[in-house]
Amino acid sequence: MKITDAAVYPYPLGDASVRRLALQAEALGFDSIVVADAPSGTYEGVEVRSGLMIRDVPIKDVIAAVKRYRDSGRVISVNAANNSFNRAAIGVKGMHILRGIQNADKLAFDHVAAKMASDNRVAVDIDLSPIIMGRSVARQRAIHRYMDIMVLEQRFEFPITLSTHARSLLDMRNVRDVAGLCSLIGMDVPDVERALAGVGTVLTPVEPSVKVIA
Amino acid sequence: MSPRPPTLREKRRYILARIEPAGILLEQKDLYYAISDATTSLWGDATTAIITPAVVALEHGYVVVRCRRGTERELAIALSTVTACRDVHICLQIVAASGTIESLRSRFRKKGPHKKETEPAVAGNGAGEEPVLPECTFAKKTFLIVQCNGQKVDVIEKGFKNTNRLFLTKDDLEDLNATTISDRI
Repeated sequence: MKITDAAVYPYPLGDASVRRLALQAEALGFDSIVVADAPSGTYEGVEVRSGLMIRDVPIKDVIAAVKRYRDSGRVISVNAANNSFNRAAIGVKGMHILRGIQNADKLAFDHVAAKMASDNRVAVDIDLSPIIMGRSVARQRAIHRYMDIMVLEQRFEFPITLSTHARSLLDMRNVRDVAGLCSLIGMDVPDVERALAGVGTVLTPVEPSVKVIA
Repeated sequence: MSPRPPTLREKRRYILARIEPAGILLEQKDLYYAISDATTSLWGDATTAIITPAVVALEHGYVVVRCRRGTERELAIALSTVTACRDVHICLQIVAASGTIESLRSRFRKKGPHKKETEPAVAGNGAGEEPVLPECTFAKKTFLIVQCNGQKVDVIEKGFKNTNRLFLTKDDLEDLNATTISDRI
């Protein structure tokens, strides 16, 4: 099980180089990080996974982008929009993570989308930045949405990933802080452990339920 | 007024946190306001009154925060939501919790303060002149090195326009195409 921060942004989107983010991740107790728009590699024992974040595009562009990159080893994630978009995005083969659910409308992720996410092994990302940096209504709304996601997760058991969406080295948090922040949305320690390993879960190929031996 | 006997006093706990980025100068009072604001914002007035956060020491890049016994978890979560102090972007990394300030002091004395390998070279006779910081190049821009500790190098862009800190490593400065990790690592 690899403890992974599912989204960090290096320079020039953020203020730290990929190597420094990897160093910091190691100091904070992470085994791997998903870095937006950077090649994969390993630095000081921390696995750097390349992430592709698709946002603000129609579904046909999402399908084209996923088709182009699905064999590249990248962690492909799509920003959530309305309900029909999310259902279509979850159904795209090769898509790994649905992000930004806290910014989408209230009905954007319902029980049907949750069932589809579970069947297709698509993770829903819990972005901790609104809890860390948000204040008052923004934070309350994010906590409420995440609690709702956790209710669906308990029922349908789709994968969850945790990310700090750190654009600065100072926005990253250690594993214990992450567990503390997740307790605000009703996640207990096994839930947090499972969520920290969520990127590994979605990248592991699904074993076929029936094996043809001969 | 005589002090309360120890058995009637409120039981307290102390949390030691490291202030990042290293080498930043903060006022104890400003940090108290930042922590109090974060705690109140997260838990509300009633719970903050129970937690009773207070900054009791600020030394060598570490801060000791006091709380009521049994509220360490709440205070620790609140500390992880502290992002700024007087418009300076900071982060508090919790190191330990203890029942006495002295044991925490011994802990950060053992660890030592944030080391500063790069001391600014003093220009001229050193009397009243601006210190000269070493320079480096990254992503085709010139930066001044403000902090260097092991592999970690903190820089600020040269000039007066952009004073934001960039966090790099020594490998980044040696690698000409260092905005990404190259395949050879």
